[in-house]
Amino acid sequence: MSPGLRRYIVVRILLTIPMLLILVTVVFFVLRVIPGDPALAIMREGASEEQLASFRAATGLDQPLHIQYLRYISGVIRLDFGEAMKRSIPVTEEIKTFFPATVELAMYSMLVTTTVGIFFGAYAAHRRKTAADYGIRISSIILYSLPIFWLGLMLQMIFGAQLGWLPVSGRLSAGMTPSPEETITGLYTIDAVLTRNWVLLKDALLHLILPCLTLGLVLAGIFTRLTRANMLDVLEQDYITAGRARGIWERVLVYRHGLRNAAIPIVTLLGLQVALLLAGAILTETTFSWPGLGRLVVQRIYDRDFTTLQGTIIFFAMIVAGVSLIVDVLYGFLDPRIRY
Amino acid sequence: MNNSHLSEANILYNIKDLVVEYHTRGVVVTAVDHVNLKIQRGEVLGLVGESGCGKSTLGKALMRMIEPPGDIVGGELWLDQTELMGLPEREMREWRGSKISMIFQDPMTSLNPVQRIDEHIVETIKVHEPETKKSTALERAQALFERLGIQKRRLNDYPHQLSGGMRQRTMVSLGLSLNADLIIADEATTSLDVIVEAKLVDQLEEIRKEFGVTILLITHNIALIAQIADRIAVMYAGRIIEIGSVHDVFLDPLHPYTQGLLQSVPNIKFDEREELYKMPGEPPSLSNPPPGCRFHPRCPKVMPICLKIKPQLLENTPGRQVHCWLYQNHPEKHQSTTEVAV
Amino acid sequence: MSETTPDISPAPLVDDDIGFVRRIWRGRIWYGTEWYITVAGGLILLSITLMTIMAPVLAPHDPNDFVGAPFTPPGGGPQALVARSGESPVASANEITDELIGVQRNQNGVNLAKEMELERERYQNQDELIAGLQNEEVDLVFIDQNLVPEVLEANPNFDVVNENLGRIYRLGTDNLGRDITSRIIWGARTILGVALASALLSSLIGIPLGLISGFVGGKVDRTLSLIMDSIYSFPGLLLAIALAAMLGPGLINVAVAISVIYIPTFFRVVRGQVLSIKESLYVDAARSLGAKSPNILRRYIFPNVIPSVTVVFSFNIADAIITAAGLAFIGLGLPPDIPDWGYDLSKGHSFLVAGQWWMITFPGIMITLVAAGFSLFGEGLSEILNPRLVK
Repeated sequence: MSPGLRRYIVVRILLTIPMLLILVTVVFFVLRVIPGDPALAIMREGASEEQLASFRAATGLDQPLHIQYLRYISGVIRLDFGEAMKRSIPVTEEIKTFFPATVELAMYSMLVTTTVGIFFGAYAAHRRKTAADYGIRISSIILYSLPIFWLGLMLQMIFGAQLGWLPVSGRLSAGMTPSPEETITGLYTIDAVLTRNWVLLKDALLHLILPCLTLGLVLAGIFTRLTRANMLDVLEQDYITAGRARGIWERVLVYRHGLRNAAIPIVTLLGLQVALLLAGAILTETTFSWPGLGRLVVQRIYDRDFTTLQGTIIFFAMIVAGVSLIVDVLYGFLDPRIRY
Repeated sequence: MNNSHLSEANILYNIKDLVVEYHTRGVVVTAVDHVNLKIQRGEVLGLVGESGCGKSTLGKALMRMIEPPGDIVGGELWLDQTELMGLPEREMREWRGSKISMIFQDPMTSLNPVQRIDEHIVETIKVHEPETKKSTALERAQALFERLGIQKRRLNDYPHQLSGGMRQRTMVSLGLSLNADLIIADEATTSLDVIVEAKLVDQLEEIRKEFGVTILLITHNIALIAQIADRIAVMYAGRIIEIGSVHDVFLDPLHPYTQGLLQSVPNIKFDEREELYKMPGEPPSLSNPPPGCRFHPRCPKVMPICLKIKPQLLENTPGRQVHCWLYQNHPEKHQSTTEVAV
Repeated sequence: MSETTPDISPAPLVDDDIGFVRRIWRGRIWYGTEWYITVAGGLILLSITLMTIMAPVLAPHDPNDFVGAPFTPPGGGPQALVARSGESPVASANEITDELIGVQRNQNGVNLAKEMELERERYQNQDELIAGLQNEEVDLVFIDQNLVPEVLEANPNFDVVNENLGRIYRLGTDNLGRDITSRIIWGARTILGVALASALLSSLIGIPLGLISGFVGGKVDRTLSLIMDSIYSFPGLLLAIALAAMLGPGLINVAVAISVIYIPTFFRVVRGQVLSIKESLYVDAARSLGAKSPNILRRYIFPNVIPSVTVVFSFNIADAIITAAGLAFIGLGLPPDIPDWGYDLSKGHSFLVAGQWWMITFPGIMITLVAAGFSLFGEGLSEILNPRLVK
């Protein structure tokens, strides 16, 4: 590893800390913007003065703001997000329970997005200014303009209700949930392969199809545009023309050399894609009753359980920061100009 | 090389009446306007002209590498008894790199930044000779590099790790890797500093002597032409306006544009009182060119006929062609015609 | 053989004294397909704006009124006046004075009868309604127009007295009997209002911050950039959800919640422009302009910044529309008395299972259409203003 690369990685890791700090602070302030009395907002009307007072004491709302902030930060650093309101379960436990479902959804949706995006984006860049190119561009815009939940509902209606081909809610059919011994990662598809439970695998996959198509296709709209833009940049470069002058096949130029070069800037944008993925997961999980963190967020909002909400949002921020970091480090390895 | 006349058997590339147009934003630009040119086997032909005169387009057209919105709309390209315009694209692709190759202006951007140098060469070889083993191809690459004075270990590097001169020599070796008959050097030295440029030019000379390649040198650097070219072709606004041996043309330029061009080269025997000669006017717009001879707005020897009718590229003297009414007759022309001595 | 060239050269394409509209039309040739894309987007925007402005005129009903029967399918509504053959007391519906009309509960016949101020007899379901006519309890009934053929087939002694009475609900009604067409037309206002408000907020904060940051540079720039990058990389919807949950329902609150997401985008774009202009102008400024930097830079920066900002603004509105719909779906949107496409979507969710698809489909199509319209406009404009130069 060259000294240049080493320095690059170290700087990048160091950058993550202030970013996370800023995000966590933003979350702190956002979640205390409640107009009026926070305790009242959470406990709702009908709470007596003593109840409100004890609630304030319990959650530390009676302290001045900077003390609250310090307690908050110290909790975050220790990864202690407190306990869910009205439930007495540590928030971290809740996150652990529901996180795998979101991961599985995100994983396969990302697969859909990248496959569709790379293929159509490269093709559109290759056949620039043709009907195919414009068609792909317009389709991408329309795809991204579709409200995720609406697409989900339409798919549910067609494939679930009318045609009856696919299940429309949940991760598994009733009674298929594997026992705790069989649950290794929490990702049912992987667990099924690990325990050679093929029935489980099929059921899990069937349930994954519609949600992943929904989330994956909408995001593919953006990813296609991204790929196309980067591919256009690359295909205009001199080395592609020089390669053509040496007799290299068009297809090799575009899909091997072109993609290889375009992959570099595209990879750096994967971090943003993950952010969009998580945001979209909230809506997708709600639509398909998928028991993941996204649906948890929505439910806890309804319950006015701000502690869980806070913890989950911080967790999301950490994931995004983490993925960004990994992606940027990956970029350092991919681009020989940095590696050497 | 004796250039007093061209023998038919010796013509490597015969360009007949080539027309290249660009269609963009509602206008049509004729970048190459009925060009006729014969490139002799083994010679170094210099193609000279201002920016925008069409010389780069001509170079690309010779390899049928004109991309939309441009298109070759007329003419024939006879490379070694084969008419290239009639070839289907997949056959044309086989000719690129193996029979004709091109060296580009900017070696940094002409090399794939994520591909090692040896991969560049090996890929080129395998594309045209798929049966070649990788090890054989590598050996050939090493031999070429030695020939051109680059260390073998550089083959493992990425382009950004090489110096400018090394990169350009890499480009040259890529051009030679398949023993092409014709190398088109499109402004190959423009981005190099003078010392590196001199080295490169020396190497081009050596290659030509040793391998017998034909070189089409496209440049706006006249000194370069003087140094290494056998013949010179001058291009203006999409047309070839003068062709001849370097010796003849430099000694006695016929076309007023060529005269102006040579006059504007600073001479080391400068008289300090003399000002640098500057040709008046600007190159014409190729989408809306002047009628008649395209040079007439700037020509010091302009005649009435020049505004109305285009002259032809005529070979009045063996070995020299000029595109100018000064040396041609026409019923509407009333001025006298100059005879050119052999 | 020499050639003659024509004496007159072709006229240049761009004159200076043509009007604005003709210039746009000429752009067709100049810009090619991008032009069509931008214009298509622009047309959609214009239509929506028209719909917004002319809502009171265009909408057949008040969007909050329960004008029809709940769950009327699209095209439903019109009723037929049916009687036993030869026994109809009237020749047409207008002649009814005090005859009793049989109507089915929760069907549009009830509303029609109410409107015509007729005496009605209510039946629980269609069977009882038909029985009522057969048994001569009533002499006239209102039946849904599209059910008439099968009713006549089952009961050959019935006859149609009058057809196609009453309103037609082109897109159907929702679960409370509100006309969906009207809700769609009035909903345009809401969605545009929210999106526009949030985009304005984002730009009002993001643009000045970007200007300052790019201009001043140094620590201020680095700090601001870090903050903006952090927010930018965060899932936008999540931030909006958190804010919306805290602030509570209401149009302004939703607009504020959404606007926070897009402040970094404006910031980045403007800052980028300022930086590149700074770089290109510093040389000139150093040489000839002296120390008048602030004014001159501002005069140079603005015309360059405006095109990019317009494009970003367009995309911003498109995004804001989708985000607002998302918020409504979760339940964090506007109060129910404001007609809102997102709200309709969230309410219609539960009825999809029962097969009442029209409550969701039309608002969804509209959201997609408007968001796509703004995006197309922005995309085409961006290609025109910053074209990718082909070598």
